[in-house]
Amino acid sequence: MQGLAGYVVRRLLFLPLVLLVVSFAAFYITRWGPGDPISVYSGQYRDPEAFARVRHRYGLDQPIIEQYGIWLKNITLHGDFGVSFQYRDRTIPEIIGPKIWVSARLGVYAFILTFLIGIPVGIFAAVKQGTWLDPFLISVFLFFQSIPVLVSVPVLVLLLTVKLQLLPPGGFDGLFSLSMVIPTLALGLPGIAGVARLARAMTLGALHEDFVRTARAKGLDEYTVITRHVARNAVAPVMTTVIGLSLVGLIEGALITETLLGIPGIGAFIYQSVTARDYNVILTVVLLLAFAFVLANLAVDLVLVAIDPRVRLVDDGRGGR
Amino acid sequence: MSNKLVLAAGAVAAALIIALAVVIVLVVGGGGDKNSQASASGSKAPTASSSSKASSGGLRVRSTDPLVLDPAIAQDADSAQYIVEIYSGLVRLGSDLKVQPDLAQGWDISADGKTYTFRLNPNAAFQDGRPVTAGDVKYSWERALNPDTGSVTAENFLGDIVGAKDVSRGNARTISGVKVIDDATLQVTIDAPKSYFLYKMTYPNAFVVDQKQITANPKKWTLKPNGSGPYKLDSWRLGDQLTLVANDNFYLGAPKLKTITFQLSGGSSLSTYKDGSIDVSGIGVDDLASVQDPSSSLNKEYRTASNASVDYIGFNTNVPPFDDPKVRQAFAMSVDRKKIGSVVLKGAVPVATGLLPPGIPGYTPDDKTYAFDPARAKQLLGQSRYAGNMPKITLAETGAGGTVGDYTQAIVQSWKENLGIDVQVQQAESGTFFQDIDQGRYQMFHLGWIMDYPDPEDILDVLFYSKSKQNSTQYNNPAIDAQLAAARVEQDANKRTQEYQAIEKAILQDAPWMPMYFSTQYALVKPYVQGYELPPMVIERYRNVTVNRP
Repeated sequence: MQGLAGYVVRRLLFLPLVLLVVSFAAFYITRWGPGDPISVYSGQYRDPEAFARVRHRYGLDQPIIEQYGIWLKNITLHGDFGVSFQYRDRTIPEIIGPKIWVSARLGVYAFILTFLIGIPVGIFAAVKQGTWLDPFLISVFLFFQSIPVLVSVPVLVLLLTVKLQLLPPGGFDGLFSLSMVIPTLALGLPGIAGVARLARAMTLGALHEDFVRTARAKGLDEYTVITRHVARNAVAPVMTTVIGLSLVGLIEGALITETLLGIPGIGAFIYQSVTARDYNVILTVVLLLAFAFVLANLAVDLVLVAIDPRVRLVDDGRGGR
Repeated sequence: MSNKLVLAAGAVAAALIIALAVVIVLVVGGGGDKNSQASASGSKAPTASSSSKASSGGLRVRSTDPLVLDPAIAQDADSAQYIVEIYSGLVRLGSDLKVQPDLAQGWDISADGKTYTFRLNPNAAFQDGRPVTAGDVKYSWERALNPDTGSVTAENFLGDIVGAKDVSRGNARTISGVKVIDDATLQVTIDAPKSYFLYKMTYPNAFVVDQKQITANPKKWTLKPNGSGPYKLDSWRLGDQLTLVANDNFYLGAPKLKTITFQLSGGSSLSTYKDGSIDVSGIGVDDLASVQDPSSSLNKEYRTASNASVDYIGFNTNVPPFDDPKVRQAFAMSVDRKKIGSVVLKGAVPVATGLLPPGIPGYTPDDKTYAFDPARAKQLLGQSRYAGNMPKITLAETGAGGTVGDYTQAIVQSWKENLGIDVQVQQAESGTFFQDIDQGRYQMFHLGWIMDYPDPEDILDVLFYSKSKQNSTQYNNPAIDAQLAAARVEQDANKRTQEYQAIEKAILQDAPWMPMYFSTQYALVKPYVQGYELPPMVIERYRNVTVNRP
């Protein structure tokens, strides 16, 4: 107990450090690129002298390190994330909140799809180990995994809306509409192979456990043995590991999927914000992601400990497992 | 031991996940929890509210979020469409693009054309009932120009007033050329007798804001602005819905249309229109043909109107090979714009006949651009300085670096076919693109110009005067400069228009631009919506609309 608490505290102590490094890197990189939010916002109206005055007004003409200091002070002391040059009437949390909500829902849909298909497929493949079905099934889903969303989204649109005319053509009609089908498929399909392989490995491990032999010895039919005894032990670690580690992949996928399909989520907005050089929005989202990633990783580690006592908490000072 | 550890680790993991959720909610919802909650649960709201609004006779349109609702800062059409309804200025543009009285019921112009005396409408008031005074106008302009406000365009639209530039450059707090004679009289002195000054006053940057409200709530006032326009901002959920309600005390008469609901969540506009949950819809190029088909059920509801805007290829007249006018002319002559327009753009937009778009004084439908003449183009190229030693040429346009659009592709193909010149297309995202435009780095670029006010000055002077900051082609012609300077202050309106027409022709001869097309707007309007106009510029337009939804 002592060890666990200490471990969690030590891991959490790394969090501010991670955020500091990430925020500085993001701050520096965004300001390093060509153009600036004032210039982009002004569109066809080109007046470099006026740009310079407005840049000065927002402190964008200061040395980067000083700008960073001011930003850090505002965020830590006042909870002020700065101005968004895209929507100047609103605070950044107000702007990104609804968009994160949309993306989170999309992410949940994609996860559900991934697990709903991945886990049964993995278990089935494990049970069929040694037959052609095992490598065949896994290969099919590896194929989906190796198609980038940049390709799969247009193909899905072509197939489902243009050819088969099953779905409305692009756009976003709310979270409970048919327009969520394509993004869910695009984000969910690539993850299935990973889940299936993990589930397969876990199932194979479980198949040789004593309790499975006991269950069979009791005379239970094979179906009950697999669903009741094997699956239960295989599923939990798969869920936690994949949820934690695919967080970032999901966000990356969302960036392209949402942009291509016009879904008003955080992925599309990040892209739009980078294009608009909306520095403060980019920074806020990057920070939020870093934060979520660190915590999710920690949660995964702890769940694995909870599930499998053989995994020990070793704090090697790098904050990892 | 292991059981205890298991439980503890599980509990901590659960706690972490909850903590993560809480932090995200705090960060994201902290500033405006009402807003984010409303939006979160509001994903179903548009349909719910649209059915409830159906009986109230409001208008439902699909649109985009405003970037900013502060008129001093706004300079984009997305924002302006709301600002012109919520706020007002001394004068406004009518749907005929003529200047009409607004907060000012009349004005006198001195004999030298430099001093304007505005008489305010005695009923002019903010939406909270407080009268709008000459002092409010002065405050609003000084605020717009003040560097602390952070407006990029205020100096452009107010800068003709004597002393305005001292304010925008931080050397003064008050505009010396603006005098409050009494509450209802404002005297404005401008630096030269520019007849387009009143047009500039119709731009949002010159609109009136409520000093009291801004002083009391400097950061959040635009979420409930106390404007003086015909509509009040009722609610605005970012990315979801914005609602305007009538200001029944509006000094020019209570609006007939009581509510306007703007749906901001994106999606297929046409299908939403078909199922009846919006009353007005834009049409994409791909859907145009089906709507234009006379046998289509939607054809009767189809409307089209011009936009005061022109799409063009600009040649940088400072760099090889386009510093030789013959090369520019050859390029301009070797593109069959009519064919590209009908094939690639499906005839959706009229081919540009000059620089001045329809609706702008001086526009004529006869073609003043170089006609398609590949033989002459080749000949000109042969006579040019770069005959036989043509440098590599790149055309720049905004884009994500993906595939080049059919339209650009067709232009580039024309040059290859008719001149034998391979032109590379470079796509740059807007941040890079505009920076390189500012620094004159491109040989040629593809861009559009949207008029801000309906005067030829807003395109000819602004884009082709050698000392104009917005002269992106670096065009420098002393003869044209002299003519532009004369036209700027010409007092006789007819003569002035003729002068601009002559300037337009001369510039086209020199070919710093190859004008491509005049952009056009397409809309579907339900038959039960009356009085809905499609003006070529963003102007106040909902007041007289009536909706008799069956």
